[in-house]
Amino acid sequence: MEPILELREVRKSFGGNTVLKGVNFSVHPGEIIGYIGPNGAGKSTTVKIILGMLQQDAGEILLFGKPITSSDDTYKAKIGYVPENAELYETLSAEEYLLFVGRLYGLEEEVVRQKSLEMMRILGIESAFKNRLSSFSKGMRQKVLIISSLLHNPDILFWDEPLNGLDANSVQIIKEILIALKEDGKTIFYSSHIMDTVEKLSDRIMILNEGTVVADGPFEALQQEADGTLEQLFNQLTGFNEHAELAQSFMSALKGGTTAYDA
Amino acid sequence: MMRNLFGSDQKKQESFFGKALNVLEPMYRFFSVDFPIMKLIVETKMTMDSRQENPIANTWNNKKRDEDKNPFFQSLWVYALISMLLLFLFSIDNILFQYTAFFSYVFIMLFSTLIANFSSILLNTKDQVLIGTKPVSSRTLSAAKATHVFIYLISFTVAIAGPMIAASFFFHGFMIGLMAIILTIVAAVWCLLLTIITYATVLKRFNGERLKNIIAYSQIGISVFTIVGYQIMNQVIQVVDPSTLAIELNLQWWHAIVFPLWFVAPFGILQQGWSVTYGVYVALLVIGTISIVLLYRLNNDKIELNLQKMESGEADEDKRSWYETATGNLVCWNAQEKGYYHFVWQLTKHEREFKTRLYPSLASILVFPFVFMISSLRLAEAGLESSGLLIYMPYFTMMIIPMLSTTLRYSKNYKGRWVFGISSNADAHFFFQGVIKAMTMKLIFPLYMLLSIIVLVIAGWELAVPLLNGFFLIIILFCIEVRRTLKTYPFSKQYDASEANQGCMATMIFFAIIMIAAIIMYLVQTFIPFGSIVALVILVTAAGWFLTKGFKSVILTQQY
Repeated sequence: MEPILELREVRKSFGGNTVLKGVNFSVHPGEIIGYIGPNGAGKSTTVKIILGMLQQDAGEILLFGKPITSSDDTYKAKIGYVPENAELYETLSAEEYLLFVGRLYGLEEEVVRQKSLEMMRILGIESAFKNRLSSFSKGMRQKVLIISSLLHNPDILFWDEPLNGLDANSVQIIKEILIALKEDGKTIFYSSHIMDTVEKLSDRIMILNEGTVVADGPFEALQQEADGTLEQLFNQLTGFNEHAELAQSFMSALKGGTTAYDA
Repeated sequence: MMRNLFGSDQKKQESFFGKALNVLEPMYRFFSVDFPIMKLIVETKMTMDSRQENPIANTWNNKKRDEDKNPFFQSLWVYALISMLLLFLFSIDNILFQYTAFFSYVFIMLFSTLIANFSSILLNTKDQVLIGTKPVSSRTLSAAKATHVFIYLISFTVAIAGPMIAASFFFHGFMIGLMAIILTIVAAVWCLLLTIITYATVLKRFNGERLKNIIAYSQIGISVFTIVGYQIMNQVIQVVDPSTLAIELNLQWWHAIVFPLWFVAPFGILQQGWSVTYGVYVALLVIGTISIVLLYRLNNDKIELNLQKMESGEADEDKRSWYETATGNLVCWNAQEKGYYHFVWQLTKHEREFKTRLYPSLASILVFPFVFMISSLRLAEAGLESSGLLIYMPYFTMMIIPMLSTTLRYSKNYKGRWVFGISSNADAHFFFQGVIKAMTMKLIFPLYMLLSIIVLVIAGWELAVPLLNGFFLIIILFCIEVRRTLKTYPFSKQYDASEANQGCMATMIFFAIIMIAAIIMYLVQTFIPFGSIVALVILVTAAGWFLTKGFKSVILTQQY
């Protein structure tokens, strides 16, 4: 099967700071990919490059079999995106924001209204449909972003930390929705720091560390390299095994420090 | 009721701007812009601007007192009123002089307003995440942002140029009036497109942190250009008879560097007929306009393509300068105050919006005294007495106070305001003292020192006490203005396009206060024996009181 997304030797630097040092991977239709890595590893940068928000310094990205270019934005009609930070136009109501997004995708207003209201009802925020987004909690905003990424029935979803701010029940619903979307033939590329979810949900897990993919495969295959949970594997591959020592050092620093009141 | 952006109501009541955009549809198509999407974005943005974030509205209830009233448009009449002062130009019987002064005023006002207040729209990264990830081309998004700014800019232009244009019809007839309208619109388009081209070029070549500094340098560049332009204009304008202010214009081809003159040449042709100099200037105007439009067409997607650099750029190392450390140790008298001093210093160091709003004011403060000085010298040459007020040149630093006090309300990182919510209100005075001292030492003191040194070099050390008095007066006025304007914690509000002219308005109102203060100081220090020493004692005492006890009773509300 042809990959739906392929990255070949993608590199990106900001000034003297090289964030991506030659990222290679391919994603096939219908896969759920968990893209994980420590803070600053380059996960969001990868997604921003795929979505055309940043341009890579080197390498090639093929999406739906074609190289992505800044002059052709049509591929974005088949993509659904949830950004890392739950940023929204806060002075709009949820209804207005979702209608606005729907119009950007060229959808009929009435279709979008009905669809959004129904999805908000399922996610338990229907009563806030006409309220301003500035009054929404972080979890509610996240739900609006998730809905806005699905309005146009995209083929591939890029969700950056989609479970941020959601309560336990909502996390459960979103996980089920992800599985249902996969069964519907969608490809899902998401990042999360909740290892337990990534472990259970992903067909394949990619671990990005210091700008390169250091592991790529189903959880069971990755387990052959190191026994234990995904969290333990993650720690091992990212070279982070000094939790206890760091906690001790932190406490020492805390006790040794002074505050403005002490001074 | 909150007006709904979408639905049948919206279709029935298309705004004036919406209708105007429909007329311009072919032009947008020329620039390869998806017109319906561009219009949708602009209309959504205008609606959002009319609904500012407000703690009262920030509830489950959507009703809001000022729904759909954009404060920007509501306050334009003040500019129109102030611009009526330009009508005195019609008392000087020289059409070229009238329109040279007019276009210089228009360009200075538009450039400083555009850079100071609307850069945040052009360089908004949120749009790229929320709109740029949808099937919307960079050209369309960029055109939407430019149009959004242009709606404000053209409204502002109507306010500042309206009185003069209306008077043009009255004094010079239909053709000159029409020419004034067309060329004023061209001037507004120039300002917008040149700003976009500059940002696009800078973003393409530099990273985020550098960009912030380069924008600041560009403002200094504009100020220097203004000084040079003013010098050249001094050569162009020859005072023939000082008693009647009769003047003659001596246009040379090399004066072409002052581009507002290009806009004046068509008036010259209309009134005085064809000449080679006018021909060269009109040719430059046409070539310049075409070049700017073509350059925009080449670059209009470059801002969007490189905008994420603003977020992802490599930051400079956060290090306190020796000046910050030394002044902090010198002027802060307690650990909390010193903590706030450095907090405010560092926060403002990294805020692009803070810089873009304030630096034009800082630059104009540097320019203004020089313009004043040159004018005084020229009047002296022309046989008129040079004003004794020249020594009060550094007092112009006061002009920064209203804009600074207004800008202190805002921050890009306004969501960090929760920090204030968990701190005790009993500490608010320390925070204010820290803010006042940090901003004084960071922005006011260096500028005041520079101007004072120039005055001391020109006029001698005997002016040291009046200059010291001026500095303490500025501190007092700054404290008063901060107490008056800041009712919530500083840095707690989001930058908002609709409030873009709040600082400008405050500046204009404050200008009268400055003039009164300067005149009182002049009278006290000139006509009362030992007046400057008496003033020094009073001012030091008052400044000392403000900086120790002046903010003790302040209770701030927290804006969530």
